[in-house]
Amino acid sequence: MRLRTKLTLFNAISKLVIVILFVLLVPVLIRNISSNYVDSKLIKQKNKLLQIVKSRGIETYIENGEGYGSYLPLKEEYISLEDVDPDYFSDTIKLGKRSFSEGDTLEYRILSHTFKVKNKNYLLEIGKSVDTLDETSTPLQNIAFQVLLGMILLTILADQFYSNYVLKPLRLIIKTKLVGQKFPNFHSYRKVRTTTTDFEYLDISIHKMMETIADKFHKEREFISNASHELMTPISILQSKIENMFEEEDINDELKVRLLEMQKILNRLKSITKTLLLISQIENEQFLKEDKVSVTDLLQDVYDEISIRLQEKNISYDISVPDNWNFVNINKFLLFNLFFNLINNAIKYNREGGHINITGTAGHDNFMISIADNGIGIDANAMPFIFNRFKKFRQSLQQDSFGLGLPIVKSIAAFHDIEIEVVSEKDAGSTFKLILPATLVVIA
Amino acid sequence: MNVLIIEDEKALAQELEIFLTNYNYICEVCFDGASASEKIATNLYDFILIDLGLPDYDGLDLLREAKKMDTEAAFIILTARAEITDRIKGLDLGADDYLPKPFSLLELQSRMQAIIRRKFGVKNNIIELGGFLIDLTNRTISYYNSVVNTITKKEFDLIAYLILHKNRTLTRMQLSEHIWGSVINNDYDSNYIDAHIKNIRKKLNAFAPPDWLETVRGLGYKIKINA
Repeated sequence: MRLRTKLTLFNAISKLVIVILFVLLVPVLIRNISSNYVDSKLIKQKNKLLQIVKSRGIETYIENGEGYGSYLPLKEEYISLEDVDPDYFSDTIKLGKRSFSEGDTLEYRILSHTFKVKNKNYLLEIGKSVDTLDETSTPLQNIAFQVLLGMILLTILADQFYSNYVLKPLRLIIKTKLVGQKFPNFHSYRKVRTTTTDFEYLDISIHKMMETIADKFHKEREFISNASHELMTPISILQSKIENMFEEEDINDELKVRLLEMQKILNRLKSITKTLLLISQIENEQFLKEDKVSVTDLLQDVYDEISIRLQEKNISYDISVPDNWNFVNINKFLLFNLFFNLINNAIKYNREGGHINITGTAGHDNFMISIADNGIGIDANAMPFIFNRFKKFRQSLQQDSFGLGLPIVKSIAAFHDIEIEVVSEKDAGSTFKLILPATLVVIA
Repeated sequence: MNVLIIEDEKALAQELEIFLTNYNYICEVCFDGASASEKIATNLYDFILIDLGLPDYDGLDLLREAKKMDTEAAFIILTARAEITDRIKGLDLGADDYLPKPFSLLELQSRMQAIIRRKFGVKNNIIELGGFLIDLTNRTISYYNSVVNTITKKEFDLIAYLILHKNRTLTRMQLSEHIWGSVINNDYDSNYIDAHIKNIRKKLNAFAPPDWLETVRGLGYKIKINA
């Protein structure tokens, strides 16, 4: 999930939770507010009544010791005044039930207050119906919910808009600096414009890291290239010396055998150096891709070079690639070596009397050429490393390989944008599938 | 044949001189571009072997300069700079061949022979060996009136290389370098040479035993031709 989506989701959910909590709290709050409001109103009414008693005398309400009572027609409010026992005292506001002569029992918020006039103790009660209080809370709750929901939608939109804006540099960094970058050929640095210092730092750090990687990679390639070049001359001198010594008259056969051993070792050094140089030349893109050759012709060339090896192991070799397939925009020398190495491996890691099948199939927007053998296969543990330089996992019968065959294949394939898929089962065989982009093959 | 060797690596220049002298070339050696330039201006050579990486000269400049002097010499570039562009430039400037280091001296001799054949238009290059006629120009082998047409390209290459270096033992290494030189090989197994020789013998045996193709025990193969 992307950061922006996560932020928006979090914002929306957290706000919704808060609103729901608030809406649930509304009745309690309203009850609290309205009871405060009612209480203050009751006190005001009490004060007003006491004022009247003071100025006009208790007789206004009570004559002949008969209590005073008054209520609204629907009994939402009532006032009562009566004389009580001189020792009785009350000054409270609380909930209570009162019943009327008609038989109604209603719940009220009741103010009770005792006061003395002319040595007589009076109790004043002012009540306000609670039902009228509760009735207001439900509509309030609804309104609150609607208003808040609207506000939330607005803030979510605002959040969305702002996070979109503020995260734009991050998106740009990911899009231009990370996605679709082909290692190690990074594009030149272009600053991502942002006022957020964190992103600025991220941008420059990524750039610096990539620069370091590219630099190291470049240096490694340069080193391999220089080192192999530098080794060529001394190897050449040694080779010439050995070749000349071979023809010296006073060198006996025993010495010649030892010279031959030296030649073998020198040859090994030479092959390794030449191969490393080739890989570095491919990686430095020093080859042209302008050749055109029929696929079957190229495979036939490989066959001509390699037939003696097939014959030695009595391996059958079958090519079923359409005759009208032609490689274009390729380097013939390199592709020849790619197939040579793959087929050579298929022979080397095969059994006496085994077989090798080379099949070409056209895909939806690509072409596939697979090289399948029924040889010794590749161990599953070794599979991730088979394209690494100098790794030798499959102990071939002859120990004369130095583990650069597949790295050459990999470099040549990458140079031509060819994908390689390997399927292998121990003791059953391996299949190397080359997936060629449509630009490399024309059918003619 | 006069050969000028321009090579700043003295040890290599010396080996080139020893080898070519054995093949009856008359050699002169220069270790830098300046003295080479002088020698080219005053002497006539059939071959000029030129190293591209000279201390005082770019080998390609020297080649350009020498070509201007209208020399008849054939130029072979020897270089450790195996850059593709160098190769193209060198051949464009009129070099006759290009040998990247490290190369086998035998390969050098084989290239020089090829140039000689090309330059002097050698038509009749037929060797007679135990009744077999081996035509190096048309690449055919015949036994009296019948053509041996079972010999493959690789097999003929081997025979031709052994004939070129007649009376000399060629190791399996040298032979495989010659016939598989263009392949960047993952292994340095040269045992397949034996298989090729076995095939050649079998095919020729159908006509007559090719005793001239000798196995030198533990070392390699040789074709003996008495001068």
